[in-house]
This record gives sequence, C-alpha cells and structure tokens, in this order.
Amino acid sequence: MSLDNANNYFSIDDILATQQRVPCKVEMPLYRLGYLDSSNEGEHLRPGTKIEMPYWMARALCGRRRNIVSVELPKSYKEGYREILTADPTVVDLHKLGPYFYRFGSELLKFEVPDTPDISKSLLQAFQGRIRKIMDSSQNAFHEDTTKLTEKLDETERILFKAGQCGLNDFQRWETRKTEKLTTSEMVRNHRKRKRGPEEA
Amino acid sequence: MDPAEVEFIAEKEHVTIVPNFALDMMYLIGGDVGPFNPGLPVKVPLWMAVNLKQGQKCRVIPPDWMDTEKLQEKKQEETDSRFFTPMPSQHYMEVTQLLLKCATDDIPHADEIRTLVKDIWDLRIAKLRSSIDTLLKSDATHAKLNHLTLMELNTVRPFLTKALDQMHVLRSNIYGRIQSTQE
Amino acid sequence: MPVGHECFIGKSEIVLKSKHLHIFAHTGLVVCALIYSVVISVSDVTFIFHQYERSATVAGEGGLFSGVQLRHAALERNKRCLLAYLYNRLEQIKKMRWEFGSVLPAEVKFNMCEQEVQWFGRYNKMLANYMRSIGGEGGMDLTQDLKPPKTLYIEVRCLMDHGEFETQDGNIVVLKKNTQHFLLRSECEHLIRQGILEHIVH
Repeated sequence: MSLDNANNYFSIDDILATQQRVPCKVEMPLYRLGYLDSSNEGEHLRPGTKIEMPYWMARALCGRRRNIVSVELPKSYKEGYREILTADPTVVDLHKLGPYFYRFGSELLKFEVPDTPDISKSLLQAFQGRIRKIMDSSQNAFHEDTTKLTEKLDETERILFKAGQCGLNDFQRWETRKTEKLTTSEMVRNHRKRKRGPEEA
Repeated sequence: MDPAEVEFIAEKEHVTIVPNFALDMMYLIGGDVGPFNPGLPVKVPLWMAVNLKQGQKCRVIPPDWMDTEKLQEKKQEETDSRFFTPMPSQHYMEVTQLLLKCATDDIPHADEIRTLVKDIWDLRIAKLRSSIDTLLKSDATHAKLNHLTLMELNTVRPFLTKALDQMHVLRSNIYGRIQSTQE
Repeated sequence: MPVGHECFIGKSEIVLKSKHLHIFAHTGLVVCALIYSVVISVSDVTFIFHQYERSATVAGEGGLFSGVQLRHAALERNKRCLLAYLYNRLEQIKKMRWEFGSVLPAEVKFNMCEQEVQWFGRYNKMLANYMRSIGGEGGMDLTQDLKPPKTLYIEVRCLMDHGEFETQDGNIVVLKKNTQHFLLRSECEHLIRQGILEHIVH
C-alpha cells in the first residue's frame, strides 16, 4: 500500500476514501434524480434539499464552472473538532472520525471552502503531533497484540505503524539469527490456511 | 533493505585471525588474501574468518575496539554527546553479532561486550528517534546526521520514508498545488 | 431507472470487500460477471441518455445537464472500481510468480479467469527471457537467493510426500514425509518456499 500521490487511480485506499460522504445542499433542480434522496417523494430534487452524497459524486456536481450542489464541511473538519485536535492531537480517535481522515481531508480541500487554509494547517499539525507516539509504539511492540495501539489511528497512520513495526521486527529477527533460516513464503502459508479453513469448519 | 543484506555488506570488513594451516596467497574477486602460515596472524574478510572458525581452522583475534574498557568509554562518550559519535567500525553491530556467535571462546568477557554494544546501540537509536521527531515537527525539508551506521539507518528507513511522503502531501495542501478544476 | 446508482454501490462494495478479504477469494467467474455487468450498465446508461434526448422538452438543456453529469460521474466511478479491482488482482498474480514459482497450484488457478491465466503465462515467458539474457552464458535465476546465502549445502526435512527428486549430479532423492536430506541450497530453495521442505538450522 503506498501513500504517494493521493490521486492514484488504481489505489483501493483512494477509492474507499473518496467514497466517504459529504453533506450537500442542492442549488439547481435535479430532474429525475429524486431517488438519490431516500426521504424524497418526488421525481425531482428541489433546490434547498439537503442530502448526503459520496465525495466523488459531489465533486462531479460542484466545481468552478458549475454549482449544481454546494458542499458543506463534515463536522469532523469543522472548527469545533479542529480545536479539540489542536488541544491534544494524541487522544483523538481518528479512526472513528475517518477512517481515512487525512486522505479525505486533503480531498475536501479541493472544494475551496472558506476554511481551507485552516483545515490544511490543522491536518498537518495533527499529523506532526501524533507521529512521535506512533513511532515509539510501533518500535516497541514486538509480538504483542497491536490492536490496542492502532485502534485510534486512521488508515494512513496504520500504514506508518506497520512500517515502523517492520523495521523493528526485521532487526529483531536478525538479532536472534532467524534470518538464516529459509522459510515458506508468506503467500503460501496464507493460502494453505485458507484452504484448510472450510474443511475444518 | 533486509538486515541480512546489511550483514552481507558488513562481512567484507577485515578481521585478524591466526590460522592453523598453511596456504599460498589466494586471489579472490573481493581482493587478495593470505598467504596463510600456521601461528602467524593474517587479515581476512569477516565471512572467511567465520567460515574458517566454524571449520576449526583458525583462532580469531578480536578487533581493537572490542574491549570492555574501550567500549565503556565509548558508551560514556555517546551518553554525554547530543549528537552521534563516530563508531570504531561502520558495522560494529554486525561484527559483534557474528564474532560473538562463532568465536565466543576467542573473545574475553564476551557477555559484557555483548551488553555494552547493545547499550550503545539503544542509546543511538533513541537519539535517532528524537532527531526524526524534530525533523517531522519542523519546517525543514532535510537534515544532516553524521556518523550513523547502515544498520541503524535501516531500522528506521521504512517508517521515515513513508512519514516524509505523507508530510509532503499535507504540506503541499498548505502551500498550494495548482487546483485542477475537476477531478 | 436508477441503473447508475445501483451499479456504483455494488461495485464499491466489491472493492471494499476486496481490500479486507484476500483479493483472490473471488473466482474467475466473478471477475467475468463483474466486467459483464459494468459493460451492461454502460450501455444501459447510453440508452437512457438517448431517451433523454428525445424527451428534451422537460425544462430545456440546463435541467438535463445535472442528470447527465451525474450519470457520467457514476460511469467513470464504476469504471475506476472495476479497473482498480482487476489491476490489484494482476499485481497479486505477479507476486505469485515470485512466491509459488512458474507453476501455480491448482486451487489458485481455479480462482483465475482465462485471461488472467494467459497473462501469467506471458509474464512467466517475459521473465524467463530476461533472466536468460543476463549474467553471461546460461543466464541468471533472479528468483533464487532472495536473501544472501550462508552456505552452499543445507539440511532439510520433508513436510509432505513429494515423490522423487533428481539432484544436479544425477542422484535420486526420495522426498518422503519426515525424512531429512542434505542438499544444494540452489536446488531446493524453491521447494522450501513452497512449504514442501523445511530448512533445519542449528
């Protein structure tokens, strides 16, 4: 899983991140698209209707040249939450707010809402504030159950955590001389496990 | 990079052994080795030293720095300094590991040496992590760290490179990339 | 006629599940069905679009634009989900060449659709050609020695019956479960990776 280039077409993480919903308000009538809003009875969507739609859909309907819908900030990026994040970034559960908090946040900036500079600063500061804890916990968590350590991290941070663990685990395996032994490939082992699964069920 | 690969590179370091056999000079790809005369010390690459020792064909002479007093001094130096001090060997960790594994009987106070080297390692790694944290919190785009060894760098490489990538993405949000009108 | 809507929800779900399950849990049949359904949705949407054109009396051009825009976005989204799914499967297949070797186990092959099997064959051939062209005469096997080798010969134990095995110097070794052998590392490395032999270290 790579973190580079947030607009990677083939990246599953990107696709899932852009699936997250954004609250919108209809500005121009949307004919025959009434079914998009499950609470709507009519065939069309009237201006003023509030509706939540996935990011990619909102992006198509709201841009520089046209404003078929207008986009509102989801509350996890609004000032209230931003203040909580500034006060102590390490305690916030970004997985609950996300799970793609950083990626989705960066995508939201494309809508050029008035808060944009504050949001981008907030994202960066949150990241900088949390990174030490992630680094330290990933480098000290050999063989332990890591769910407790990663449950409050968003997806991006979890990738970083795994990377930190990787560096540590590899070194410790070398230290205990386990690298001399050739092993069955990871893929083969998982494949066997899956094969045995249904038979044992 | 795999630590096994770092070890492979470390094995090119030279170490002194005392062979119990005789052999003419050998012309190997990595350089010339020998000649071997029983009882006379000769410098060979680490991989060969380990191999010969395992075949009981030599005795290993520990490098100068592999001595409890010197390592104790080094540890003190490392503790006192804010920065990284130069290490006696660019592969101190790997050399210690390999020699202590196959030639424990040739190295006096082997256990103490093992502990001291590990302590120095832990000190340096802790410093490394602080430096990384400082780098990530600042606005700097690069940092200079002197006297780091390859093995130390290797343990943080996966994390550091990914973290810096993510910082770059978040920073370019602020300093503006040209927003395209549509996705 | 909420064709676009249903389709994109369906595809996104599959992509979501792919991420959390092994992407190869879906058989080749599923892959083909997916492609088929997305292609159908494309043609459905074009049909609807033509219908729109004919009944353009509703509120003129401005009104229709949003509908078209949305359906277009849904189409692009479906296409992206599908392509990402196929691409990630191919990445897995490529990885398999390096983990399983040039012959894939039957269960894995069962999960691949015809085109993927062909793709694997072509990748295999390309890799073999490249390996043959480097390292002087006889080429170089890049899939071997992925870690620096420590010794020339290694001791191995059989984890399962694997029949007879002929070594480079012509000896026949019978690989019966729980027997131990002393073999050239280069000859048995791939068997260890496949889980048939176990490397014994002292």
